[in-house]
Amino acid sequence: MADDLDLTPAPSRPEASRRRALPTLVTLLVVAAIVGVLVKTLGDATLVFHEVDAAVELRTELGDGRFRVVGTPLPGLVETVVEGGSAVVFTLCSAGALADVVHVGDPAELLQPGVPVVLQGTWTAGSVPGLAGLATPADDGWHLRTDHMVVKHDNDYRVEQGRQADIESCSATG
Amino acid sequence: MTQAIASPDVSTGSRGSRVLGVATLLGLATLLLFAFGPTEPDIRLHPTTGEEIGQFDAVRLLYLHVPLAVLMYVAFVLCAVASAGYLIRRTPWFDTMAHAAAEVGTVFCGLVLVTGSIWGRPVWNTWWEWGDVRLMTTLVLFLMFTGYLALRRATVDPRTAALRGAIVALVAVLDLPLVNRSVEWWENRTLHQKSTLEELKIQDLTLFTLMLGFLVFGLVLTWLLLHRFRVGWLEREDAEHGIASAIAERRAAIDEGDVDAAVGEGT
Repeated sequence: MADDLDLTPAPSRPEASRRRALPTLVTLLVVAAIVGVLVKTLGDATLVFHEVDAAVELRTELGDGRFRVVGTPLPGLVETVVEGGSAVVFTLCSAGALADVVHVGDPAELLQPGVPVVLQGTWTAGSVPGLAGLATPADDGWHLRTDHMVVKHDNDYRVEQGRQADIESCSATG
Repeated sequence: MTQAIASPDVSTGSRGSRVLGVATLLGLATLLLFAFGPTEPDIRLHPTTGEEIGQFDAVRLLYLHVPLAVLMYVAFVLCAVASAGYLIRRTPWFDTMAHAAAEVGTVFCGLVLVTGSIWGRPVWNTWWEWGDVRLMTTLVLFLMFTGYLALRRATVDPRTAALRGAIVALVAVLDLPLVNRSVEWWENRTLHQKSTLEELKIQDLTLFTLMLGFLVFGLVLTWLLLHRFRVGWLEREDAEHGIASAIAERRAAIDEGDVDAAVGEGT
């Protein structure tokens, strides 16, 4: 009977510890990753989206710092060239306020009037190239110079042939 | 039991689970058919310009993404409930269920992140948006349950692993309400829209296909949980039987007077 039995002594603790080293390391890495994500998320003030009215109101405070702004492009998108690169110029509206935008680089594929976008950039003083092509520009001597654009879609999934989109009216006061 | 597990006669399947498996596969095929077939793309007309706006065909991915997310909640809540049950009752059934639910939930969570990323590229214009509060809370959820699974393996003693796992699960699940309500609480820190179902901004075939998605992924979750629970239970029995049989065999050797064999030669 003794021949059939595996009576090898149990492995010593150091060997068992080595076997558990990888999961322990993974656990520590996961904890480090969670801390990293939280720090990155909570520590970056530019991640808040300002409505256009707040961005206009905070223009002095924001200075030349980068921030994010959310709004709906009004009809009239002008493609142009700024400092040798492609750009698109339009007027952004939210909360009853307007801001002219010069977005440098590739715009979002779904950039269209009526589809809300989140832009990241800075306030810039000076004239807006292509201003004449905009239907209802803010034209207040300032524009948003942005280089990061993402689309913020709505939660409406009612599909009917030819249905008009429910777009929040933007009766801007300028 | 060790020999029994190795035997081809032992399986985690049963007549019921096989029927469930077939129903799940048929359901998945039907869901894909509806999602990528008769349902309409998201196209609306701008009231002023008449231009077509919307998500177009990218909306079809939501028939997978949204049900996966909701069933991920179910899996993690189940894990938390089972973990609480373990802390109260200290029975292996609760621990095995918690472990199975955490593992399946983590897979669902990974799929939620992947399908969301694939959908986000054409619709949002980005694969990933750092700072989007729902993305971040979901990523943290994924990391915490990945940590839960790693932590369980970092401990030799199953009771210690179960206890630590239960505590971590109950902490990790606190992230669920943050994930779910983030679009309401931090509206200006997320690209995600508010709940469509709560405002019932969905109807007809689109609603039907989404509901079908919930049903089908519910079946997937049930099938995976069932098998993972059975695998966990067999593993546990195998480990316990291995220890018990080793002790019994060594006792038998002592009874026979073969002390050298009982304690191991050379010790």
